[in-house]
Amino acid sequence: MESAFVAISSDFQVYGAVERDGDVIFDRVAGFDQVSEERSRYAPKEFLMKRNENVLILNVESKKAVFGIKSCDLKGFYLMDKQIFGKDPFYTQKREKTLFANFVCSEPCNGGFCSSFGGPVLDQYDLQILREGEKFHVMVSEKYDRYFREFKKETGTFYVDFSNRFNSKLEPLPVEGIEKRIKWNSELWKEYASACISCGACNFECPTCYCFDLYDDGNERKKEWDSCILSGFTSSSAGNIRKGLDERLRQRFYHKFVYFKKSKDTYLCTGCNRCVEDCPVGIDIKEVITYDYNGE
Amino acid sequence: MENEYRPHTLKMSKMTEETPDVYTIEMDSKNEGRAGQFYMLSVPGVGEAPISVASGFGRNLIFTIRDVGSVTSKLKNLQFVGIRGPYGTGWPWKEYDEVIGVAGGIGIPPIRSLLEEMMDSGRQQDLEVMYGARTPSDLVYKKDFGDWTKSINLQITVDRANAEWNGNVGFVPALLRKAHLSRMAAVFVIGPPLMMINTVKEALKLGYREDRIFISLERRMECGIGVCGHCNIGEHYVCESGPIINYSRVRNDKELFL
Repeated sequence: MESAFVAISSDFQVYGAVERDGDVIFDRVAGFDQVSEERSRYAPKEFLMKRNENVLILNVESKKAVFGIKSCDLKGFYLMDKQIFGKDPFYTQKREKTLFANFVCSEPCNGGFCSSFGGPVLDQYDLQILREGEKFHVMVSEKYDRYFREFKKETGTFYVDFSNRFNSKLEPLPVEGIEKRIKWNSELWKEYASACISCGACNFECPTCYCFDLYDDGNERKKEWDSCILSGFTSSSAGNIRKGLDERLRQRFYHKFVYFKKSKDTYLCTGCNRCVEDCPVGIDIKEVITYDYNGE
Repeated sequence: MENEYRPHTLKMSKMTEETPDVYTIEMDSKNEGRAGQFYMLSVPGVGEAPISVASGFGRNLIFTIRDVGSVTSKLKNLQFVGIRGPYGTGWPWKEYDEVIGVAGGIGIPPIRSLLEEMMDSGRQQDLEVMYGARTPSDLVYKKDFGDWTKSINLQITVDRANAEWNGNVGFVPALLRKAHLSRMAAVFVIGPPLMMINTVKEALKLGYREDRIFISLERRMECGIGVCGHCNIGEHYVCESGPIINYSRVRNDKELFL
């Protein structure tokens, strides 16, 4: 792994998951052995979508390689791609110039439900790294195959077997068909609204949430992460079409489980559980999937 | 990749007050958009607003704007306007033999551009326009009505008349009964939600085909290119699948007319 890392380092600015003051963040790393296998505190969305940037100037970005992103976080980019790749020039340029080396978790994490969306072995990746003891199995996309030419190619069913084992340890939620079961007038939205404090953490933590606000700030026009939970999200001179917090919470879940499924034929969720972990009032997106809407 | 967010700067050649809160601006440049499409106009330091194009493809760029927000209240005083676009879908008038355009209030500019495009293609005989405003003083393009009437069946109504008014009084949907074109005509509807609901209902009642009714959607839009996520109606982003969309594609959406 180290020799491939060195080869990649000569072509890319290399970042990796590292522990700093008790949190795992992404920073420059000089060797593969420095990369933490712990999940980063935040989904590393900022590599492709800065929290805040001036859209009037499109700078030429440098090539970056990011080691240690977890599969659930990486999958968020593949999902976002379906809506914004090739359209947003800032995202698109960074996406094309960033190599992600994702770590496949060897064991399910506490609360995560990635098996509901296929599990940690992704079918789209740049470098997908799976540790087996001291050995690393690496799946490489054609685009980056050159860095691994001298290595032995994985044959057989290792990944499939691993994936099956992992997913049988973490029983998938009954997500299939949620777009038909979910109910527009469910009591669930009102219940969530009575607890939700509109902080937007669920959106900002989410590796798939791509919405942003565009506003002028002096001489700059800024693009900044936005949240569909906030009341200003849909307000315009014609009024606000989602005045109620229950309506805004419903929008978030409908986008993930109904609208994206209809327009892109996939759910806009990776099962990372970040929105659950960082919700200050305990709203759990898993309940949106498992809730008995018919029983209401 | 081009920076789609970066606006071009165009010189404004003319500004006309239409009503106390509506004005028309003309640019010193050609319109590259189709009737129904919109541009993002901007005021530096304030922001951007999506504005439908009011002139036909290839003519001078014209916008008719209601002064309601931070951007729209300042555009008229500019010499140079920031602009990007055109974005979104246009009226599919080329696909139909007959077209009835129905506009309520400030929905008229995209019907004006439709009229110009059909006239420029020599198809004015295939178009009728129904237009309603709250009061006679809310009607825009009054100076054009005379010309338009020479080439098309133009019906105008107001919700509330004043002393000088001797035209139709009543809501726009009722004007559909004054259409001469066949029930196979496409019906293009644009205006406030309630006006669109009632016009669609009336059109269906009169026997126009649902799959030939097109409506113009309106939502808060920021990027115009389908990436910022603000303007969704169900699975559609208005800036991408709209603003002009076939009614049968969105009729069941719970947030359609809000």
